[in-house]
Amino acid sequence: MNSLLRVEDLKTCFYTDAGMVKAVDGISYDLQEGETMGLVGESGCGKSVSALSILRLIPYPPGKITGGKVVFEGKDLLNISEEEIRDVRGNRIAMIFQEPMTSLNPVLTIGLQIGEALEIHRGLNKKETRDEVLRLLRMVGIPDPERRIDDYPHQFSGGMRQRVMIAMALSCSPKLLIADEPTTAVDVTIQAQLLETIKDLTSRLGTAVILITHNLGVVARHVNRMAVMYAGRIIESGPATEVYEHPRHPYTVGLLASVPRLDKPRVGRLVPIDGQPPDLIRLPPGCSFFPRCSHRMQQCSMERPELRIVGAGHLAACLKDLGS
Amino acid sequence: MEEIIDKAEKPKWSQTREVFNRLSKRITAMIGLVIVLIFLVSAIFAPFLAPYDPLEHSLGHMLAKPSWDYPLGRDELGRCILSRVIYGARISLLIGTMVISIGVLLGAPLGIISAYYGGKVDFIIQRFVDTMLAFPGILLALTLIAMLGVGLANVMIAVGISTIPIYARLARSSVLAIKSRQFVEASRSIGASNFKIILRHLLPNSLSPIIVQSTLHMATAILWAAGLGFLGLGINPPTPEWGAMLNGGRLYIRVAYHVATFPGLMIFITVLGFNLLGDGLRDALDPRLKT
Repeated sequence: MNSLLRVEDLKTCFYTDAGMVKAVDGISYDLQEGETMGLVGESGCGKSVSALSILRLIPYPPGKITGGKVVFEGKDLLNISEEEIRDVRGNRIAMIFQEPMTSLNPVLTIGLQIGEALEIHRGLNKKETRDEVLRLLRMVGIPDPERRIDDYPHQFSGGMRQRVMIAMALSCSPKLLIADEPTTAVDVTIQAQLLETIKDLTSRLGTAVILITHNLGVVARHVNRMAVMYAGRIIESGPATEVYEHPRHPYTVGLLASVPRLDKPRVGRLVPIDGQPPDLIRLPPGCSFFPRCSHRMQQCSMERPELRIVGAGHLAACLKDLGS
Repeated sequence: MEEIIDKAEKPKWSQTREVFNRLSKRITAMIGLVIVLIFLVSAIFAPFLAPYDPLEHSLGHMLAKPSWDYPLGRDELGRCILSRVIYGARISLLIGTMVISIGVLLGAPLGIISAYYGGKVDFIIQRFVDTMLAFPGILLALTLIAMLGVGLANVMIAVGISTIPIYARLARSSVLAIKSRQFVEASRSIGASNFKIILRHLLPNSLSPIIVQSTLHMATAILWAAGLGFLGLGINPPTPEWGAMLNGGRLYIRVAYHVATFPGLMIFITVLGFNLLGDGLRDALDPRLKT
């Protein structure tokens, strides 16, 4: 199998007055062509930053990618020129952002905004761009596109705007789509529709997807593989069903216990994970989940656990073997 | 092709109409608009509106009082004041537009670049702007005229340059508020270059404060131009200019009030008109009122 994207030991830091924040602290993963991967974790665990780092969209200063490799289609994206990365953005790798309300420019029509990538990467003229934009609007399920193409973002609902964002992202048929919590800001009923649209269109175009979310229900339904992040690192990864059924890291176990499960009978109350996420400026020397872990051992406070194989394609970073 | 342009224009017009609707609800703003329109019309159509040649003098009718034939009377050389006032609007409009153009065209890009790139670029540009702001505007303009020499073009350049820092600051602050918005990041994520982001996304979004400021500035520019004309630093004498007319009439104010009064009133009314319109526009373009 040839991997489309290989992230190796990626590190991204933010330099703040309080100190250096290691937002992404050495993560590695592979993504095959057409594959869908879920990147899961709580707010501030570095999942969005890791995604922005792939396209070098980290604002500098204060942020900086301090190490690692992002190999996409055989090229290390961290080592190419600004022009070359611009050619990748929107063309080979596209992004969908969390907030459809603020991701669109309020003073430009949506037609112009969807056409922007086409103009940049395909060099289409006005007429061709307009036809293509109409096709895209139809593709993402916006009714009456001829009438809506000249509307402004404020004339659309949140769900419709997110569809516009999807049209924008898929306009150049990218090989990889990074969807950064695409459904967080919309109604629950719309969430499922949007995810279906993304899933349907990307599988038709053969686009691989990195789906960033904190919604475990979304992950279970829509991804092949998932990676769980905690404090800037991946602490567990593997096939989605496997991780869901047999979580091997105490954090993943806690995460799954803290959300309602529809696939299992109701048993008592939900169990929250105690404590707060760690301060990324002063991480504990050992396992960063140590202070909150219900399985902690003496050894955990000294030794930082590395990812190790715990099953078929299943990795977990815990010294204790929860499976046995 | 034409059809496409037609369709693309439609919503823009509806937005303009929306702003106009809000503007029309304010009486003061409408008064301002009417004054400004009258000013523009008389400046543009001066040769058709002026009853006499503004340069034609008649020493036999020096300082003649207003009459049916000469509604605003005649000046110290017997020239028709009404015609001179109408022609004077041309100079004021010319000075106003040029001053604003210099200020906006040089100041706004400076401010946008400063805010967008930040860091050292921002620091250097802002220290330059600070230095310019440290001078009182009129003093800076006078200094520049002292360096460049007297004349209409130099007045426009001098006053124009002294407004650059204001537009630079204004554009900078609105871009600072916009550049961290997600649509800018979204545009970067589809591969747009810095130039494209500035032109497509930052400029249109930072335009409304600049429009308001330039309307208000038009008033200031006219006032400054008149002030410099009054001091004899503006356009050469025979050409009608409100400030210079005011100065000419000053000597005869005891015997012929009208020579200085009417140009003075024109300056007053025009400045008032632009100020009223500017205030109205500020309210009408308030982003908080947008749906």
